Amino acid sequence: MSLQPVPVRYRVTSSQAETHDTVTLGLEPVDQPIAAHRPGQFTMLYALGIGEVPISISGGPAGPGLVQTIRSVGAVTKALCAAAPGQLIGVRGPYGTDWGVADGAGQHVIIVAGGIGLAPLRPALLAALAAPDRYRAITLLIGARSPDELVFSGELDSWRAAGADVQVTVDRATGGWTGHVGVVTQLLDRAELDPAATMALVCGPEVMMRLTARALCARGIPPGRIRVSLERNMRCGIAECGHCQLGPLLLCRDGPVISYQRAAPLLAVKEL
Amino acid sequence: MNGDPASMLSNHAFVRGMSPGYVERLADAAVEIGVPAGYRFFEEGGPADRFWLVTAGHVALDLHTAQRASLIVETLGPGDVMGLSWLSPPREWQFGAEAVEPTTAFELDAAAVIALCDSRPEFGYQIVRRMAAVASRRLHATRIRVLDLYAAPGQRAGAP
Repeated sequence: MSLQPVPVRYRVTSSQAETHDTVTLGLEPVDQPIAAHRPGQFTMLYALGIGEVPISISGGPAGPGLVQTIRSVGAVTKALCAAAPGQLIGVRGPYGTDWGVADGAGQHVIIVAGGIGLAPLRPALLAALAAPDRYRAITLLIGARSPDELVFSGELDSWRAAGADVQVTVDRATGGWTGHVGVVTQLLDRAELDPAATMALVCGPEVMMRLTARALCARGIPPGRIRVSLERNMRCGIAECGHCQLGPLLLCRDGPVISYQRAAPLLAVKEL
Repeated sequence: MNGDPASMLSNHAFVRGMSPGYVERLADAAVEIGVPAGYRFFEEGGPADRFWLVTAGHVALDLHTAQRASLIVETLGPGDVMGLSWLSPPREWQFGAEAVEPTTAFELDAAAVIALCDSRPEFGYQIVRRMAAVASRRLHATRIRVLDLYAAPGQRAGAP
């Protein structure tokens, strides 16, 4: 068994509240940074003295810093969300597979995000928007529980200005919301797309991804052109401990991003 | 209506694939309309005597409640059918509907469509099948929303 890498020290440089329970941290290395990351990968973040959790990278690859978006769901993530600028945290990674955005060159790239699933998709969107002429079109469809649970809501207009068709729908309209109300698959039903020249990237709760992938298949997009990001219990990050096993896959190494063609039979197995 | 009504109507998702003869019959009961944002198509409890095939813009289905703003139940957009209540008694709208932006649609006279369905069962079967598909998709979408999927933690499972 190989040794688990020791976390590298990073300092929190910014903390941006996205929603009532979700925070985006800006991190800068104190010593040698971790290796460059690709869109879709994750790191293990260590709240000193509390514990370590896998968190998707939500920022672009430029520079030695990291941007990571964390939802407070337990003791470790609560501590990370509360980390103030100047505080030190440990970082291991980056780990896992990436979205392979470049494979969509010449095609329509459709990105479908559910809730905080937008966080790991944001680097893929930023990569596509960095060279929009390489793609036939870039569409971002976002579904959220309610308007006040939208993450990166302050960036939507800049993404539109950069060339993306951005549409948002919520399950429940609150606070004067005048946008779409309904599930994200309904936005997909209305989207203009050429199934033979479309690549789809999907991230959100697993049921949402399954239903979205099914809707994409119903529109004629081959399962091999649909990529999903799966979540399991990542612990070591280096395919040693087996906690993140999904059938034949160890998701910290073989995932989190895999094609729906590969994911579909695994997602159909109850309690796998 | 501008241009050939049947050919324009045949581009709508609800009508796509329908035989030209049936599209022409449907077009006889249709008129193209354009409304500004804020236009109210119908109110809860009103007679459901029409339905619409939305071609551009968006419409919010809403429900009025006491002492608070209207609740938006769902929004409909291009390619959607607005209005299912005309299909069966008591033929009353269950919700209200308001354009949230300038909207265009084909407005269909429900009584005329029902009469066509009754006189030509094959045509009626086509209409009922397509409306059943619309209702099925709406039911499916509603069930997904009831699941409240986004309430579940979106981080890697097992995060302590």
